[in-house]
Amino acid sequence: MAFVRWLKRHLVVIAGLLTLGYLLLPNVIVTVFSFNKPKGRFNYQWQRFSTDAWKDPCGVADMCGSLSISLQIAVWATIGATVLGTMIAFALVRYRFRARGAVSSLIFLPMAMPEVVMAASLLTLFLNMGAQLGFWTILIAHIMFCLSFVVTAVKARVMSMDPRLEQAAQDLYAGPVQTFLRVTLPIAAPGIAAGALLAFALSFDDFIITNFNAGSTVTFPMFVWGSAQRGTPVQINVIGTAMFALAVLFVLVSMAIGNRRNRQKA
Amino acid sequence: MTTDNSGDVRLSGISKTYGSFTAVHPLDLTVPQGSFFALLGASGCGKTTTLRMIAGLEEPTAGTVHLGDQDVTHLPPYKRPVNTVFQSYALFPHLDIFENVAFGLRRRGVKSVKKQVDEMLDLVQLGEQARKKPHQLSGGQQQRVAVARALINHPKVLLLDEPLGALDLKLRRQMQLELKRIQTEVGITFVHVTHDQEEAMTMADTVAVMNGGRVEQLGSPTDLYENPRTTFVANFLGSSNFIEAEVDSRSGEEIMLKAGGGKLSLPKARCSAPTTAGGKMLVGVRPEKISLTHADDAGEIPEGRNRITGKIANASFIGVSTQYVIDSAVCPEFAVYVQNVERDSRLVPGADVVLHWSPAHTFGLDAAQDIDAGIETVEEEAA
Amino acid sequence: MAAVTEVPPPLAPTAPEKAPRKRGRWTPYWLLLPGILWLVVFFALPLVYQASTSVQTGSLEDGYKVTWHFATYWDALSEYWPQFVRSVLYAAAATVLCLLLGYPLAYLIAFRAGRWRNLIMILVIAPFFTSFLIRTLAWKTILADGGPVVGTLNALHVLDITNWLGWTSGDRVLATPLAVVCGLTYNFLPFMILPLYTSLERIDGRLHEAAGDLYAKPFTTFRKVTFPLSTPGVVSGTLLTFIPAAGDYVNADLLGSTDTRMVGNVIQTQFLRVLDYPTAAALSFILMAAILIMVTFYIRRSGTEDLV
Repeated sequence: MAFVRWLKRHLVVIAGLLTLGYLLLPNVIVTVFSFNKPKGRFNYQWQRFSTDAWKDPCGVADMCGSLSISLQIAVWATIGATVLGTMIAFALVRYRFRARGAVSSLIFLPMAMPEVVMAASLLTLFLNMGAQLGFWTILIAHIMFCLSFVVTAVKARVMSMDPRLEQAAQDLYAGPVQTFLRVTLPIAAPGIAAGALLAFALSFDDFIITNFNAGSTVTFPMFVWGSAQRGTPVQINVIGTAMFALAVLFVLVSMAIGNRRNRQKA
Repeated sequence: MTTDNSGDVRLSGISKTYGSFTAVHPLDLTVPQGSFFALLGASGCGKTTTLRMIAGLEEPTAGTVHLGDQDVTHLPPYKRPVNTVFQSYALFPHLDIFENVAFGLRRRGVKSVKKQVDEMLDLVQLGEQARKKPHQLSGGQQQRVAVARALINHPKVLLLDEPLGALDLKLRRQMQLELKRIQTEVGITFVHVTHDQEEAMTMADTVAVMNGGRVEQLGSPTDLYENPRTTFVANFLGSSNFIEAEVDSRSGEEIMLKAGGGKLSLPKARCSAPTTAGGKMLVGVRPEKISLTHADDAGEIPEGRNRITGKIANASFIGVSTQYVIDSAVCPEFAVYVQNVERDSRLVPGADVVLHWSPAHTFGLDAAQDIDAGIETVEEEAA
Repeated sequence: MAAVTEVPPPLAPTAPEKAPRKRGRWTPYWLLLPGILWLVVFFALPLVYQASTSVQTGSLEDGYKVTWHFATYWDALSEYWPQFVRSVLYAAAATVLCLLLGYPLAYLIAFRAGRWRNLIMILVIAPFFTSFLIRTLAWKTILADGGPVVGTLNALHVLDITNWLGWTSGDRVLATPLAVVCGLTYNFLPFMILPLYTSLERIDGRLHEAAGDLYAKPFTTFRKVTFPLSTPGVVSGTLLTFIPAAGDYVNADLLGSTDTRMVGNVIQTQFLRVLDYPTAAALSFILMAAILIMVTFYIRRSGTEDLV
């Protein structure tokens, strides 16, 4: 009876943790199989423990090259989308102008559109223009679909900002440029950073739109896709595990620094 | 005294309209150098808009703003020698206290700010907190930072927009004295916007009571309280009793009035309404000016006092005084505050009483206005 | 005031500026211009091109011409309607599963996690940083034939039921609808959890106490207070799950078989392999229109308009 009562009390917790397990199980598999030594070309069945892949992460032809292309595209797409998106967010929050509704819809639509539709239509455009598919077409596409997400993130932050802060800066002898650089930008920074981080993650991990518009250029997700047909090298798991670990480490370290700073100040 | 008038604020015919809504009607106002000036009124009366036009945060629709001899009407805020203490302070959350206070100096190109900032923080007793962020301070401390951040720039005029509105009552009283002390110490012109009549009266040398985008009356706190010229001022500053009366006759500086069956008298100097015989007038008197005598002792009341008879409807004891509500023929709910010095045990609800007061405490207002103007708004603000 | 202070430079210019300030009437347009131009050229214009392509006829060799050949739409629909239906069904199933699985976790993070809250949040988001293709491939291992998961399901006779429902076939889970839905659910679960968490987190904990105080049992409290207050999260969560799931072709390709092909797979094949551009464009257009109509209808019904 006591057990039943305990179960009832903690039902939500148990269900939640099961879901968390479901979310993390693939990452566990990816990590475990990065130490596998598979027989044949595919790395789907456990054979025996080996650290070969970790010792030689770039041992597979073209993989690290594709990784580098993905990183370059992600960096440039992040910069482009963050700059353009931040400008739009400020215009939307701070100014009244005509065609506001139309602009808002144009921002919202890419987020409500299946990727495959955007991918196919963009390819149609490029084919019609006779554009050379490759690095630049991928970059253009990535900036396009990251833009809306940056706008949303930055907008939320700018909206919650007290307009009196900028008035106070003006009152304290800061001209428009100084006000923007010294007050507006620093306060909006967390929102801009969140938008940039999101853009980076979206761009780095994008497959569907990239696959349509890449031509012969191979990004890392495309390499993984191709290898699912040809044979999956263990190094893919090494990269996947390393990225997961780096992300967790990055967040934990920045949280620890934040905590320390708060404690020192208090 | 010097003849320096560079801290004068002169508003000439200044007004502000938003579309069809007029926030401030054309307004002339001069705030002399070195004074503590309060703009008092309920929310939406145009007091904050007026302040923001002095600060340069709103551009007037018409009229000019002068600081001393300089026309600053079209100067942006960052070029005006005035500083503002904002409502809810608007401290920069990303900068620590020191940098908040140093902000204005740095923007004007002052390189060595440390000494001045430290001195200023000491003045507001926050020297220890220099490296904290605003959110780590209490409300009262944040308020003092906001004052320090503005004052360090030696503005010609300091503008305060409801600076104490976010503080609890006790702290507010404390900060009122503190601000008054700082103003006396630095001697610059303060223009203070508030909806709290008590705050305006304790702190300011001159108070302008605003209502519906207009200044209703301007004067010293005592002047406004003792001799209000509109029902709004009479009700907004403290509370008042009104009797509808008719002018009977005039004898020299004395006006005689008829109200119900009785007669009242009023010095002409305390009357802001036309005094033609037979004309209507509102006669006002503050509740604490009135004495209460049991009807049996009516004979002991000295001659020459205004008197009214009535019945006690309600009495509430509140420590320093007892507040009575009297039902009388000329006014259904007459409020009387009696100091608890010698309590007459016969003064209980139901007792017949005579209310009497000196004619010198009576004021006469134009009858063509709303008796209740300024009452509801006060309660709203207090809520 | 202090005696020795650095005197700031004189402030106001002697002559007042005559021209009244204009509050940058054109500033918003300059701010909007580059980004909006980008979206117009690379998002809106392509949709126009696609619309035009869908009514063209011709061949790769001779080129295409706009001939208002609407029959392409009809042909595409009549040939590929099973894939359309499948897309909607799979996406709907994945959305429902995401809601059922995601709600307890979002609730756990919002109300019961205490000091573990941040850690759990990190664990929900961190998998994003491993390429989703790699993680989807991991499901091939998890659901492998004869593996522990399939073995357990078999032993519990779950597979008998799913076989009977047509979700699986024989002793296999891989290459069946169940595997595809499972992969879709997995891939879009965070998009359900995050908005749910955001709207749950805004709920004042005292409301639960108030409901309890007013004689509501825990489940009644949930049904009458918590869930209604979390509807904005439910609405945006379901949209963020359903829309990408309906257009997805990765899960169907990696975890499914030719019998689980979704409309995304068809569009991809037509565009990149068969090179039948008009058909691909028509399919893509139908998918877009269908989703926009469904989304609009759904938003209207749920009464939440502020999704962005």
